[in-house]
Amino acid sequence: MDDEARLKKCFVETFGLSPDQVKDDLVYTGIKQWDSVGHMALVAAIEAEFGVMLDTDEILGLSSVAAARQLLRKHGVHRA
Amino acid sequence: MSVAGKTVLITGASRGIGATLAEEFARAGAKVVLSARTAGVQALAERLRAAGQAAEALTGDVTDDAQAKALLQLCRAKFGGLDVLVNNAGVLVPGKLGMVRMEDARRMFEVNVLAVINLTQYAIRLFPKGKGGSIVNLASIAGTQGVDGLAAYGASKAALVGFTRAAAKELAPQKIRVNAVAPGFVETDMTRQFPAEVVTRTVAGVRLGRIGQPADVARAVIFLASDDAAYITGQILGVDGSMAC
Repeated sequence: MDDEARLKKCFVETFGLSPDQVKDDLVYTGIKQWDSVGHMALVAAIEAEFGVMLDTDEILGLSSVAAARQLLRKHGVHRA
Repeated sequence: MSVAGKTVLITGASRGIGATLAEEFARAGAKVVLSARTAGVQALAERLRAAGQAAEALTGDVTDDAQAKALLQLCRAKFGGLDVLVNNAGVLVPGKLGMVRMEDARRMFEVNVLAVINLTQYAIRLFPKGKGGSIVNLASIAGTQGVDGLAAYGASKAALVGFTRAAAKELAPQKIRVNAVAPGFVETDMTRQFPAEVVTRTVAGVRLGRIGQPADVARAVIFLASDDAAYITGQILGVDGSMAC
């Protein structure tokens, strides 16, 4: 599974979405599952999947699928 | 009290109440991850491992964000996650008002409050999804009742009490329980250095008639961390022998 698929899996499994619903314009509070509680679950899923520990500032900035990808690239764990 | 098999992160674990917490949790079958500024915490972890218990340790300052992250990464790497966080690390610098150095007051708030907030934010991401976890904070009778000569320290512990109560409400939907114990006068390396007359006078004010032991505190912490306390959250449990302040 490539890095993009792994990232998508985090969203799919955390929010109960189908893979085609996970697009770059999916944003925080854009769906009812992605509230503050869901956000922490998403962070936990991404951290576990990619073996990173995100700063609080990074978590606050993780506001979309695109932002998540960018953040993981910054950590050097998303190479797509 | 069942904590067997749980992964427990304990800060300030090299001596005193923290070391006793590490020993008691390990003896109860928990897997412990220990943190302290001094290398003694590594020796303690080695001793526990030699006794067949699961223990890891990391030396560093809990106010350092990198240390906080490294601790949680250690929990994940060695034990696959976290079930219990015990925020025990604390700093106490006594001082009557008018003689409290602001750098001491700041340090107490950094360790006793801000480090707890930071570590809690990291820890809640490691608790098992849907099953929650337990956080136990080490408050103090100085924070719940006020103690002469400990105004700045007491203020930091009162802040910790406020944090505990708010976090309990906020994290309950995730099945994460947050409680605190508030010890009174407990025999530790620090209190053993107190003048004999201070010890005598303080113990005379304890209605149960003796100084507290670290094990008294540890048993209360383990209870709150355990499944026996599954319906208890947002509570501050005094462990002070009915101490007069």
